[in-house]
Amino acid sequence: MTDTTAATQRDALLLRVVRKLANSRELTLFILVLVLAGVMAAVYPNNFPTASNMRAVLLNLAPVGILVCGMMLLMIAGTFDLSCGSTLALAGVWAGVVASPNWLGYGPYAGMLAGLVVGGIAGLINGLIVTRIGINALIATLGTLTIFRGLTYVTAGTGVTPISDEFAAFGRVADPLLRIQSLFWVMLVIALGGGWLIARTRFFRQYYFIGGNPRAAQLSGIRVDRLILIGFVIMGVLAGLSGALYAARLNSAVVNAGVGIELKVITATVLGGASLKGGEGTIFGGIMGVLFIALVENAMIINSVGVFWQGIVVGLVLLFAVSLDRFKTPGRG
Amino acid sequence: MAARLEVQGLSKRFPGVIALEDVSISVERGEIRALLGENGAGKSTLGKIVAGIHAPSSGTVLIDGEEVRLQDERAAGALGIGIVHQEGSLVPQLSVAENIFAGRQPVGRFGQVLVDQMRAEAARLIGQLGVAIDPARRVAELSAAQAQIVEIAKALSHDLKLLILDEPTAALTLNETDRLFDVVRKLAQSGVSIIYVSHRLAEIFALCDRVSVLKDGRLAGTRDVAATSTDELIRLMVGRDVHLHRQADGRVPGRVVLEARQVAAGVMVRDASVTVRAGEIVCIAGLIGSGRSEFCETIFGARKRSGGTIAIDGNAYRPGGTWDAKAAGVGMVPEDRKTSGLFLGMDIVNNIAATVLDKVSDGAKFSQAKAEALAQNFVVEMRISTPSVRQVVGNLSGGNQQKVLLAKWLAMEPKLLIVDEPTRGVDVGARAEIYRLLRALAAKGVALLVVSSDLPEVLALADRIIVMAEGRTVGTLNGGEATEESVLRLATKFTASVAASRATVGADA
Repeated sequence: MTDTTAATQRDALLLRVVRKLANSRELTLFILVLVLAGVMAAVYPNNFPTASNMRAVLLNLAPVGILVCGMMLLMIAGTFDLSCGSTLALAGVWAGVVASPNWLGYGPYAGMLAGLVVGGIAGLINGLIVTRIGINALIATLGTLTIFRGLTYVTAGTGVTPISDEFAAFGRVADPLLRIQSLFWVMLVIALGGGWLIARTRFFRQYYFIGGNPRAAQLSGIRVDRLILIGFVIMGVLAGLSGALYAARLNSAVVNAGVGIELKVITATVLGGASLKGGEGTIFGGIMGVLFIALVENAMIINSVGVFWQGIVVGLVLLFAVSLDRFKTPGRG
Repeated sequence: MAARLEVQGLSKRFPGVIALEDVSISVERGEIRALLGENGAGKSTLGKIVAGIHAPSSGTVLIDGEEVRLQDERAAGALGIGIVHQEGSLVPQLSVAENIFAGRQPVGRFGQVLVDQMRAEAARLIGQLGVAIDPARRVAELSAAQAQIVEIAKALSHDLKLLILDEPTAALTLNETDRLFDVVRKLAQSGVSIIYVSHRLAEIFALCDRVSVLKDGRLAGTRDVAATSTDELIRLMVGRDVHLHRQADGRVPGRVVLEARQVAAGVMVRDASVTVRAGEIVCIAGLIGSGRSEFCETIFGARKRSGGTIAIDGNAYRPGGTWDAKAAGVGMVPEDRKTSGLFLGMDIVNNIAATVLDKVSDGAKFSQAKAEALAQNFVVEMRISTPSVRQVVGNLSGGNQQKVLLAKWLAMEPKLLIVDEPTRGVDVGARAEIYRLLRALAAKGVALLVVSSDLPEVLALADRIIVMAEGRTVGTLNGGEATEESVLRLATKFTASVAASRATVGADA
């Protein structure tokens, strides 16, 4: 009798723990990231927890992390942008074309600005197609994914290499203490600033209402179309920033930069708690998703398991995390 | 001869809830039995048990005197029990015939669907109901009433004994409802017993032989319809007296708040005018499709206006969108709270905050504390029954959801509040409270424009009644003097022929 009671209590405790984790994707991921990092540090003390490895991990995840901030905003509003990888490449190439003395030669600042503007215009085009013409975001951004990539090739053929040392300095400048390059710090600022804005401000709160029920949001006096348009522009500008800095770091704008990155971004965003239906998600969760994927990839490389396994593991983790939703407290968002 | 359906001591427990407790009823051959009760009283659950969808926790179901244990809906169908669900079960993209035979299409030797045979059979089933609908048409092209007929045809089987109809008229107009009733009566005359689940009292008096009232999962009583009254049924449902009648509260209308002249918008609104004063309740009546809701949406800025003038407080008003309406002090409670009114996945706090984000913020920063305090006020003031303001709105009852929807718009303190169908899908108790709230709002000097398909509701609330037909306002009646007949006469007189052809069930376009 007492045994069964104890067992029931144990089951109840387990269920409570599962519920707790299911209700907070951020917490789940945070724990997973800590566990993974801990295990890796214990098993590979000489390879994993080293300054150079950490620097490499953080720097590699930075472009994805910047994109995730924009994608999270769109997914909260119930939409998304598949063209962000192409936008990244197009903006990088235009930054290079404007900055490089071999091309237009307007200097590094103009190049940087060009990257942001091209990204913003790409986002504006996506937003106008989705809100004004009313084409579903999947189809619209699938179309612009190939169009923007095509424009990248048309603009610069095989790319812009080298751009210029002054331009490259934007991407290579590092802080004196940890010696991590700018791309990571830019991502950190965007994630922290964006995280605060989305969580706390009245303006960005409207995106949750749009994702929760677009028609009700419209009838609550929320400018749904305009906000979605702004969301796409923000996504575009972030992709442009990411692309320009990426090009700067390599001192080379490559035309196939960011191929397939959109799926990685969406994976991280969903892993981080966004729902394809919209209305939920936080920037913190998205960044945790990015961090987790980056750690898994890093672990695979150190394990020398081979790159082929990375996709399998990330996919399995994604499916596992999303299936946790079944244990959510009934009725919670 | 044994009763067609005999239910003895039926109970059903869901985790944490007792949906039915020791209910016994018996229904005769060819009887039309109403199941009446507030939302959550257990009437749908009882229907679903009899139709084999839920298994009872205890108790027995007898058909023609024999006990049956139903595994699922299909088993019930084999015994001649059919159910038409509240939510509807048709796939709009598919044809009428395919919907009727979903999953049981007649097939040939190679497994191919015998389309001609299926259509012929579908036409025969629909014909049994005394109407004609082309079985090859897609359900999406049908009117709501025609779709409901197809639902019934789907439930018909060669040997139908008992048909359960769960709130079948929710989406129907008055004329369509009459047509549906003809079909139901015809079925009953052929010996089929009908269980008619509803909370619309008028329908029960028009259609049913006897009525069983459920309250909190228990049988509160069974009455002959001929020997009972609305008041008695409401008392059985609610357990106390509820007054839905007109109340003279001596409000005196003040300044003109809304003045809309000859408004046109698309094909649905052609020439509509209305004036609403502060402290006045004006109701717009008319058949579904008369352009009532579209007229309101135009005033609210959710629909582009192509003609006419609108003034708010004497100032010309041309909203570019709902946000402009909000800025001008105009609010609108939309018709369908689930699809266009509420954020069902969000809590009460956020739902109410949606219209007043500026009010619950400190500068640019959203304030959870302010939003929560505001929601708390409304929960108390409007008697919204909920464990907490953090409750997800999708988990509330229909009546409480409707109150949250109203609160969402009261929060912005509108000068003019448009309310489209204030009590659709709301039980009697909550209905009385919503009437009280609307009257209190008018007494505070808010101008109210109410759209309703429910004529008793219009008569109970309105100071003035504006009747619309075919996109035009065709007449005004004084609320105190109007009767259901006078409203209906106006609503149908204007273009009687058009209205008639529209309402004719089965009239293929």
